[in-house]
Amino acid sequence: MTKLTWHNDGGEDEVARNLRAMYAAPVGEQYWNDLEARILARIAEVDLGWWAELDRWARPALLAAAVLVLAAGVAMFRARQVETRTAYENILTPSPVPVETVIRPTLEGDREASLRDVVGHKDRSNGRP
Amino acid sequence: MTAATAVQSTFAMPSPDGDPRRGSDERTLVVSAQQGSSDAFAALVRLHQRRAYAVCRAIVLTHEDAEDAVQEGFLHAFRALDRFLPDQPFGAWLYRIMANASLDLVRRRKVRDADELSESSPAPFRDPGEADELRRRLSEALTRLTDRQRSVIVLHDVEGFTHGEIGSMLGIPEGTARSDLHHARAALRRLLKDVRSDT
Repeated sequence: MTKLTWHNDGGEDEVARNLRAMYAAPVGEQYWNDLEARILARIAEVDLGWWAELDRWARPALLAAAVLVLAAGVAMFRARQVETRTAYENILTPSPVPVETVIRPTLEGDREASLRDVVGHKDRSNGRP
Repeated sequence: MTAATAVQSTFAMPSPDGDPRRGSDERTLVVSAQQGSSDAFAALVRLHQRRAYAVCRAIVLTHEDAEDAVQEGFLHAFRALDRFLPDQPFGAWLYRIMANASLDLVRRRKVRDADELSESSPAPFRDPGEADELRRRLSEALTRLTDRQRSVIVLHDVEGFTHGEIGSMLGIPEGTARSDLHHARAALRRLLKDVRSDT
């Protein structure tokens, strides 16, 4: 019988020995092979699950994107066609609205010009001290 | 210091086959696994699963929980592998992940146990095969320690990790790991002081 002590010098004692026994890892290669297989299966399950999900959505998403691109292309082509046709028709068809030209009178009567000059001269003379 | 010696010395991982090239081989495996090789990752699992189990077992309460934690830990490692720098010691990185997975599991168990609070108190350390009085008392005494004290004493006295390594794994300062170990030993001594055992 020995008193239970805990050696600080690294020596073996009962507590440490029993702790090791309690926490001893399973022995036998089969156990570790099985654990490894379980670990890898778990990873594959999650990993494949994610990829499978992505794969499941990838194909419809690609199809939808292709349809959208095609529709956008057709719409752009048709819009350009309409624009060209409208421009062509505008050139060929005479405008129903008559074109009016307003000519700003640039020449004034001599009489009015003279009158304005005289009035202006008089105003300037009155303004002097 | 090469990654090989870093793995060997920083984490005191004994090479299972004594091969000194293990570190560089391990780095090659890590790089291959990062490039998508599942065979390389399987080899890493094979290389580290025993030590990973030991880390998890020190933290959780049962063998079954340790297995679950190892699986979750490797899954986390697999997902985070592209963020790992191959020049760092892989073991240190992996065992920290293992410790975190184990701590998460312990926390989840506590929440579950609190939800399913029964009249009978659980006896998590009861080993059906144990016949020895000391071991039975030791099992009971371990339940009196805090989770961290128990983890520290097992990681140190059973698995041989240093205080620094334990601190790194559990996310605590080295001094705290040292202090936890001291208090855990003192508590066990106190709880087992009347036990005598044949040597």
